[in-house]
Amino acid sequence: MALLSEGAATIALDGARKSRGNLTKARIRWVILALLIVFGTVAGRLIQLGWVVTDTTIEGQARDIITASRPALLDRNGLEMAVDIRVPSLYAEPRRIIDVEEAVQKLRTVLPELDADWLRKRLTGDKGFVWVKRELTPAIEDAIFALGLPGFDFVQESKRFYPGGKEASHILGATNIDNQGIAGIEKYMDDQDVALLQSLGLARGNDLTPVNLSIDLRVQHVLYQQLSDSLVRYKAIAAAGAMMDIKTGEIIGMVSLPDYDPNNPQSAFEDFMGKKNQRFNRVTSGIYELGSTFKTVTMAAALDSGKVKITDTFDARYGVRFGRFTIDDFHGKHRVLTLPEVFKYSSNIGTIKAMQQMGKEDFRAFLTKVGFDTQVTIELPEKRLPTIPERFSEIVAATSSFGHGLSISPMHMLRAVAAFANDGNMVTPTLFKRSEEEARKLYTPVISSRTSAQMRYLMRLNALEGSGTRMNKEAAGYRAGGKTGTAEKVVGGQYSANKTLTVFSSAFPLDNPRYAMIIMVDEPQKENAQSGNTAGWNAGEITGRVVAQVAPMLGISPDFNEMLDSNLVPVEIR
Amino acid sequence: MIKTLNFILVCTSLVGLVGVYALKFHVEDTASAKSALERQIERQQASLSLLEAEWAYLNQPTHVAPIIARHNEVLMLQPTKPTQFAAIDSLPMRPVVQLDTTALDVLFESLESGVDPIEQLIEASENGTAL
Repeated sequence: MALLSEGAATIALDGARKSRGNLTKARIRWVILALLIVFGTVAGRLIQLGWVVTDTTIEGQARDIITASRPALLDRNGLEMAVDIRVPSLYAEPRRIIDVEEAVQKLRTVLPELDADWLRKRLTGDKGFVWVKRELTPAIEDAIFALGLPGFDFVQESKRFYPGGKEASHILGATNIDNQGIAGIEKYMDDQDVALLQSLGLARGNDLTPVNLSIDLRVQHVLYQQLSDSLVRYKAIAAAGAMMDIKTGEIIGMVSLPDYDPNNPQSAFEDFMGKKNQRFNRVTSGIYELGSTFKTVTMAAALDSGKVKITDTFDARYGVRFGRFTIDDFHGKHRVLTLPEVFKYSSNIGTIKAMQQMGKEDFRAFLTKVGFDTQVTIELPEKRLPTIPERFSEIVAATSSFGHGLSISPMHMLRAVAAFANDGNMVTPTLFKRSEEEARKLYTPVISSRTSAQMRYLMRLNALEGSGTRMNKEAAGYRAGGKTGTAEKVVGGQYSANKTLTVFSSAFPLDNPRYAMIIMVDEPQKENAQSGNTAGWNAGEITGRVVAQVAPMLGISPDFNEMLDSNLVPVEIR
Repeated sequence: MIKTLNFILVCTSLVGLVGVYALKFHVEDTASAKSALERQIERQQASLSLLEAEWAYLNQPTHVAPIIARHNEVLMLQPTKPTQFAAIDSLPMRPVVQLDTTALDVLFESLESGVDPIEQLIEASENGTAL
């Protein structure tokens, strides 16, 4: 107790100096605490700021995707078909705008088409980024810049430009305002996985290697001109055509009319002659009953089966009866025809008999072999599955042999004809450049080279003596040949005699074939009172004019030597 | 001792202060110069892309063909007919000229022996005119 009372007494006995020292220590502690709080706050704020993720996206899209450019598309000779142009786009940062009303007023002096209320609503708020107007001209950019409005700026966006306009619309496709492919090759390139994009040099970045397509712009131009001309000359409602290098599978030209302007993708949905949805690609995404052109396929199948020989004859005196139906010939000769005559006169009876001699199962199997059951592999998203009955009844097999009752795309036919001319080697068509060496690895034999030689003879014979003479007159000297087809269109469930689809599938020069072509005209009329409206008069003549114009461009010189034609005649019937 | 140390420290911090500020303003200047340059590059790339697009447009067959059609009265261009083509091989050979080898032999022999028949002819004609 004494100790405790003594301790209490010591506090009271503290000296003045000691008590002041205690006070200083306490003050220093307070200062340290205050400093800790201040620096702690600063550090805390720094950490907080470090965690903030700034929103660099533009209305939900990464900025580099919007400003990313696409590789230029060139034709096979290096002429530009699609290029990127840089255009300024105006955006606003609403949180940095001081006076919305002033901004609206001033902006509308330069861009009067903008709605004031819409603009006011858009510029009010706390958003970091809103588009005001995209794809402006440099002159408008300067004018807006001169207004000196805070919170507005420009991004240089890439915009696709197609210098050829409509000419190759269905090949190129189109892009949307964000420069992403929405159709054609453009969409195909976007759909490819990254590895393939990089292998083609298409990876996103600034340094993009231009991509060479297989198209020859000169041929494309000729094809486009001639088909456009056909819409006027024959008052047709649609026309389409494509040309292919049979050795490499490269598509040299492809046109489908009516078309659209890829610089204005909305035009693809415009009505044509009062009808909706007419501007699709008829070559790959339209399927048609191609009529007598199909006899080329039937003949190739029959000759290649070995059960039909080129020296065989067929009794075409009477029509073929199936129950109540009788199938007769259009240009009936009504006599016994040799096989080349069946082809030349386009005899339905003869073709059915040749098919029957081969057997309908074999015929159906051959259609699978030439790829008529599946879509054609080509770098376009717009494709359609052909409709061919799974099993052929007697009558369906008969009508199929001359191209009725089954629908394929013109591209299917083109690929098949190319294979028949190319020693029976079928190759997948492509829209990118491909060398013959690369193509050889992709060859699938569909007929023997002997049958191929016989087919070349038949095609040339039809040009010299059959329905292709009008074509041959136009393309004299270029040894072109092929098969016409005039298919009656189904109108209201019945075949109509005056609404037809005419087709001409051909190859040239047949002594050393290099190119195959298909031309299709929808509902052609007679050019004048003296002319007809079957395929030879329209699709055939178009083919002839195209061949005459493009052959010199493709390095094929005319040759009038008759030996070339007589050399095509197979030994058996010489 | 401690005074001089303090003095040096104050001087160093003053120099540091001025230096950091100078650097800051310099960086700001450089940054604005950089963004100005970037802007210029962007604009030039934009106008370059426009020019390239225009060049591509002017080279298109779609653009060239109407020009030819418009001026065809003067140009008179027509598609080449198949009959207008010919190969080098189909050109006839130059007709074979038979050389009079014996006469040439005589000429060379006389030249070798120092007699120039042409000179003699000229001399003879000169003499003739002189006479």
